Parts: sequence; structure tokens; C-alpha cells
Amino acid sequence: MSDRQQNKSLSDASVAKSETLPQILLARAQATPDGLSERHKRLGIWREFTWSDVLDRVRALALGLEEMGVTRGDTVMLIGENEPEHFWAEYAVQSLGGAVVSVYPDQTGEELAFLAKDSKTRLFVAQDQEQVDKCLEIVEDLKDVLGVVFWDGSGLWNYEHPLLKSFDDVTAAGQKIHDSSPGRFAGIAAKGKRDDLAVLSYTSGTTGKPKGVMLSHRYMFDNSTRILGAVDIQPGAEYLTYISPAWATEQMFGLAIGLIGPMVVNFPEGPEEVLDNIRELAVDAMVFSPRQWENLASIVQARMLGAGPIRRGLYNWGLRIGKAVYVERLEGRTPPLSARLQLPFAEALVLHHLRDNLGLGRADVALSGGALMAPDVFRLFHAMGVKLRNVYGATETGLLTAHTGETYRLETSGRWMDCDLQYGDPVEHRIAGDGELQVRGGSGFVGYFDQPEKSAEALTEDGWYATGDAVSLTDDGELVFLDRVKDMRELSSGHSYPPQFIETRLRYSPFIKDLMTLGNETRDFVTALINIDMEVLSRWAEENGIGFSTYTDLSQKPEIHELIRAEIARINSLLPEGSRVMRFANFPKELDPDEGELTRSRKLRRAFLEDRYGGLIEAIYDGSPNTDLEIAVTYQDGRKGILKATVNITNVEDKNQARAA
Amino acid sequence: MQGPSTAGLVPSRATSVPLSVRNATLKFGGVTALNDVTIEVRNDELLAVIGPNGAGKTSLLNVTAGFYRPQQGRVEMSGRDITGKRVDQVARMGVARTFQGTHLFAGQTVVENILVGRHTLMNSNVLQAFLHFGWVAREEDEHREVVEEIIDFLEIEPIRNRPVGTLGYGLRKRVDLGRALAQEPNILLMDEPMAGMNSEEKEDLARFILDVREARNIPVVLVEHDMGVVMDLADRVVVMDFGSVIADGTPAEVQRDPAVIKAYLGA
Repeated sequence: MSDRQQNKSLSDASVAKSETLPQILLARAQATPDGLSERHKRLGIWREFTWSDVLDRVRALALGLEEMGVTRGDTVMLIGENEPEHFWAEYAVQSLGGAVVSVYPDQTGEELAFLAKDSKTRLFVAQDQEQVDKCLEIVEDLKDVLGVVFWDGSGLWNYEHPLLKSFDDVTAAGQKIHDSSPGRFAGIAAKGKRDDLAVLSYTSGTTGKPKGVMLSHRYMFDNSTRILGAVDIQPGAEYLTYISPAWATEQMFGLAIGLIGPMVVNFPEGPEEVLDNIRELAVDAMVFSPRQWENLASIVQARMLGAGPIRRGLYNWGLRIGKAVYVERLEGRTPPLSARLQLPFAEALVLHHLRDNLGLGRADVALSGGALMAPDVFRLFHAMGVKLRNVYGATETGLLTAHTGETYRLETSGRWMDCDLQYGDPVEHRIAGDGELQVRGGSGFVGYFDQPEKSAEALTEDGWYATGDAVSLTDDGELVFLDRVKDMRELSSGHSYPPQFIETRLRYSPFIKDLMTLGNETRDFVTALINIDMEVLSRWAEENGIGFSTYTDLSQKPEIHELIRAEIARINSLLPEGSRVMRFANFPKELDPDEGELTRSRKLRRAFLEDRYGGLIEAIYDGSPNTDLEIAVTYQDGRKGILKATVNITNVEDKNQARAA
Repeated sequence: MQGPSTAGLVPSRATSVPLSVRNATLKFGGVTALNDVTIEVRNDELLAVIGPNGAGKTSLLNVTAGFYRPQQGRVEMSGRDITGKRVDQVARMGVARTFQGTHLFAGQTVVENILVGRHTLMNSNVLQAFLHFGWVAREEDEHREVVEEIIDFLEIEPIRNRPVGTLGYGLRKRVDLGRALAQEPNILLMDEPMAGMNSEEKEDLARFILDVREARNIPVVLVEHDMGVVMDLADRVVVMDFGSVIADGTPAEVQRDPAVIKAYLGA
């Protein structure tokens, strides 16, 4: 299968003769100028852009940016939601021989300042007032900034700053240049080489400061063909762009495969309208992070909790049949006859509508990239008839494995993908003594921007890239991701346990939004701190007549503790003796990235949390039933205050303790 | 959060007066709601009218919008006397208002409610609308596009098709503002827009009010109870008490005014 598909994308002349992404765009606009390239919902209507529309905009913007001084080797920072201008700006910068840094729109000015300095940013392309404010704040401290270009002028009517320019003005200036010298753009873009730097993709900074991973055009081509060889993305497939281009995965999908596939890239109206937009579109291909898939699953479950008994019964029956057929088939078994007979009815009454309502009716390529996903979520989507697949990789190495074909094991990350030999050596892997996955080949790891020592550290002495992931391989050659090597945690008893396994499974509970497992070489058992899901639990409390005032109050109610206790006990039954969660407490406040408790990609900042909630952790381990906590908090409007709360601690194996407390 | 505050920095450079109330007196039986009140609204300014309960703030708005006719005095728009004109006539002349407690169609969607604001600008009659072809359909498309621009401006895309009755109070207020903007007003009157809101909703709405003034270059008159909001937002503040104007000046001046302190604190 993979041969057929690789040939398909390689035989495409527009791709084969191009060395960079903008060169593909030029070729596509020439070969199929009226072919559909992008769609964006704006003012309530889906607006369409053909290849020649996109080229017109990219070309004019590129020439405008060139006039402002952007040139080969420069870095340009892009800040904003997934909108066409974001993509056009990336192609425009790359056609000039520059590289882009995409950042998450909710990153703070401080974080932006670090990234801009580290990446030697020379120009900012920002979405709106909110982003422009951040840019203007930091430009003073940067050297040689050429400008700040914004594409949405709302709120900026009265702004005056020598560096500030509108996207439209830059584009208009570029268009004038193009009108007087029509060959100029193609000439510049033709100079692009495969090994030019295309993107700096910053690591999330879970450990230390973020590092800019250098991604070349070769990397983009290499990874695109790896994916196209593994999953069936047809040319012209409808794709929804939702994950941020700040994440390398979207660089490969929306930006690279969007051109190489090619795919029609659909831009939602805004982050809050995504679910509605997916339903309107019914796209063929989408990539979400595991967290986003899990969110989607809990939306379904929460809605079903609120439905009447008949509908809920029907839903449960439909999913049971779907599970009995689709999940069995997926795992390579023959489903029982009775289930197969009921399937057409389950499809007609439940599953079809469920998929339709979520906009997954045509999603043949539904991918989950990034960390581990709860197997329950995975099964839920398969039971609905959505063939969800994991992809696994790292920014430094590109994507490595994916679920391919019709049968695969859902707790794995799939099989190894092939690198097309014109873009690099075959991808090789090995597993070191401590379980660490090491990789070489493909377009390879070029290094961290401006950090040769750090780049060298990431490689073993014999030149393999050390992923830091503890993995194992099944007999069929599928990869099982256990945890980060450094995150497999040893208890004082010498027993090691996989915290991420526990956490992912627990996060699937509708009542738990996030959690942190505790237990290390100084402790002899595992415990957990839970961030409850306020939205679900406040509704649950209302339905059950439990009065509460704030998050803090609700989180410490004995009834809530009992709910959470039962959830943990269920997961404990899956774990061996020494890995079970013995005690837990609920955070008295919602974890918040603005306070440094979470990273921008909403991962826990563990060391910080262990320090901040040190008193609570002590109390969990010394057996106290509760403890008083004082936490300094910053409110949304910037005021600072102190949160005082009595936090209860519950023993998981002791059923009645929560009620008594 | 927001752009730099422009409160107090914009000088009233304008000479023409888009809207003025001159020597207006309004009585309900023995109660004098307005007593010889004179107020001028200048170009591009954000004018706040404040005062304790029953000071006559809403009466003043109602006189301006044509809802009440003053027994004495005049209301002028750009020098033209509009005293005694009907509410719809005043609206057609470009005066839009939002209400204390929203006046929206609870069963209709956000889009439909904002579209209602276009009513004064529509040219087709009921029969034509019923047949709905040719330029009638085109006209509706045009109005619909304006509505979408307002939805974009007020950042309410996710709720555009939700019935207004299902929305929270803060969002309903925003839709009410959208309805008023759909009228393409030359002047916007807002009656206690912040009443009953939490502080986050207040901040949101305050930002939109500033945006309206900046994006549309129209004067905004804000009748408000919430002193904090007024002092942050307004270019000029008029203070009323017992139907009369007791102070008029910048927020800083008004705050120092002994008469104002007395009216508010009773000291």
C-alpha cells in the first residue's frame, strides 16, 4: 500500500521539481490555477481561495516584506490563530529565503521577548491588537527590528508607531513592485534550496528554556512523504487546521502536506467556533492533540449525561454494538454474529448521527499526535465508527510511527513509517539499556538554533538522536510508548511506576480535568493531586442538591471526594500492587498557565507544582486527614491575593473515609 | 488588556454640536424630573451622565430619544430642532440607544435581533419581502453582511444563531449594543450599560464602547450609575441631582467638586 501512495505524491510534477514549499505553491498555481487551495469562514460565510488567489497574496506580501528589508536568512515571528494570513506569511517569508517562528497566540509578552531574542527575529506578523500590543512592548529591547505587520486592524484605529504597518498596506506595496517587475518573485523563490531553514519550532520548555529546533524544507518534504505513505490522504482532501503552527505537527500537515498532498486547508472562524465549523465541513482529514480528542469525547459524554433516559439508552446500545463490531475488527478478531446483525440498525439510529453531529462523518484520516491518549477515548471513537489513529514522533526527529492499515493495537503508537530515499537515509531505531528510544536517518536532526552545545548533547556518541522516551516494541513491531525515561519514577522501595499511564487513564474521567501523580525515591507509595472538572462537577452537584460557592469549596466537598475516590479505585484495579494510587487530595484552585502551573500547551509544570503545594504533599504522606494551605494567586485583572483553604485528603482503598470527613 | 486609555486626553476641538438639550423641563404631575437642564454633546466625545437614583438621568435620555416631550425647552440635532418628534423619527435621524435591562426579542436569534436594528434603513415593504426576489433579496444580503460585520466587531460569532433568551446577561447587553450599531447611528445613547454585570463583563463592554467611539467616530452618551466605570472611560462627565445639572467637567474635576461629593456621599 505504501508504495502506491508514495509514488502518487512523488509522481506529482509540482512536488518532484520543487525544493522548497513556496516553489510547490508556484508550480501548483501554474498547473491548476483554479484549483481550490484554502477556505476560510469569515463574516459567517466560507470564502474560497484558489491556488492563484493564494499565490497572488503570498507574492505580494513577500515583495512587500522584501521592500521592508526582510532577506535571506532572516527570522520572522508569526503570532495569531490559524487564519489564511498566518499561512500566507509563512510561505512569503520562506520564498524570500527566511525562516518563521510561529508562536501560540496566548503566550505572554515575556515569553515572546525570549523567543524573539533567541530566534533573532527581525519582523513580526501579528494577528490583532492583542498581539500587536505584545510586540510593540518588546521591540524596544530588540536589535534591528524591521517592522510589526498586523492583519486584523480592529482596535488599532488610533495606533501610531513607526514600526507598525498593516498587512494590506504591505501587500499593496508588494503588488506595485510585482506590477512593474513581474518576474521578480519567481526569481527570488527559485533560489530556495532544500536545506534552507524553513521553520524554527520551539520545544515547549517543560524542561528548562525552550530551544528552537531547526526544520529545513527537506524535513518538511521528508515528513510529508512519511505520512502520505502511511495514511491514505487523497489529493484534494479537505483538511481542517486547528492545532497551532507553533507545533511542528501542524507545520507538517497544514503547511507542508497542504501543498504537497495537496489538501484543501479549511480555516475555522475562530477557536470557539471550531466544533460548529467541523460539523459544517465534514472534513476528510484532521489532526488533534490527544487532549483535544479527549475534550471531544467528554463533550459527547457530558451531553449524554444531560439527555433523557430513552436517548441515553439508545446511545449506550448503539455504542455497545459499535464497540462489539468495530473495536473487535480493529483488534483483528471476528465480531459476534448478533452484533453484526444489529450493526446496520445501530448505524442508522445512533452511530451515523453521532458522527454527523461531531462533523466526523467523512473523517477517514483522524489522527492524534503528541502524548499518550487514554485507550478508553480511543475505543469510544472507534465504537462510533471513526478510525482514530495515533502518530508518534518528536520535533527533532519528525514523525516516526503511525497506526496504519485496518488492524492495529490501540495501546501502541503504531508501526514505523518509511522515509523517501530522495529526502534522506532510511530511518533506523534502537532501544538503549534504560528503555530509551534512539533514532537516526531521514532528514535528520539539524540542531537547535544557535545552540551547538545543546544540539550535541541531544545526540549519543555514535550520532543517534536520543529521544528520551521509554518505549517497548510488540512482537508485531508496533511501538509502545511507556513514559519519558526521566519520568519513569522509582519509589523508595525500588519499584518503578509509569505516572503518565496513570494520569492519562484518570484524565479520561469526566470529573477530572487534570492531575499529578506523586511518589518518588523518598516515598514508598503513589499518591495524586487532582484538578477537578468544575464544569461537569458543578452540574453534577446541582443535580444532586449539593450547595457550594466557589471552586475551592466544591473541590473539598466529601461527596466530590467520594466520586473521585471511586474513579481512582477503578484505575487502581488495572495496576499492579506497588503502582496503585493510595491517597489523593483535590487542588483548591484551577491550575492556570498564567501562574506558571501549566505550560502554554497545558502540560503540568511538575517541579513548580511540587514546590508550590509542598505543604499539601507532606500532609498526604504523613497521613493527616486534612491540611491548611495558603497559595499566592494572581487574578485575571492582575491583582494579587492569597488563597486560604483547608484541603481534605482521602484514602483511596477506604470507602467510608471520604463520607466521614 | 486594552489599548492605552484615551480618557481625558481627547480635547473637545469640535465647534459644531451634534446633539444638545436646551433648558429642558419635564414634569410628571407634581414631580419635576428635569429642571431647566442644558447639555451639549460634542463631536467624538464620550460623555457620561451620572447621578444618584432618581436624579433624572433616564428621563434625560428619554427626552433626547423622543420618548418624552419636555414641557419647556428644546432638543436640537446639529442645530435642527427635533423637540417633540416621534421615537422612530428621531431614530431615523441617527440617534440609537441601548436600554437599561435589554429590550430584545428573546425567542429570536442574535442575528435576527441585530437585523431588527437595520429596520430604519430598509426600503422594501411587507409584500415585497414576502415575495423576496431580485433587489429585495439583494437588499437583505447587504443588511445581513453589515450584521455579520457587527458580530465580528463584538466578537459574538459563537452565539450568532442562539436565541437571545438563552444568553447570559452580559452577552445580551452586547447584542443590544449590536442592535443599536446596526442602525448606523450618528450618536449612541447608552442607558446604564454596566448595571448588573460582573467585573469581567464590565471590562469587556467598556472595551467595546471605546472601540465604537474609535472605529465609528461618533459621540457616545453613557448614562451610568457605576462611578468607577465612568471615571475610567469618559472624556467629560455631567453630574445630575434632583433633575438639575450640578457639575460638568473632566472626570478629575468632577471628582473634586464639593457639590458632587455632597450628592453622592450626603456629606
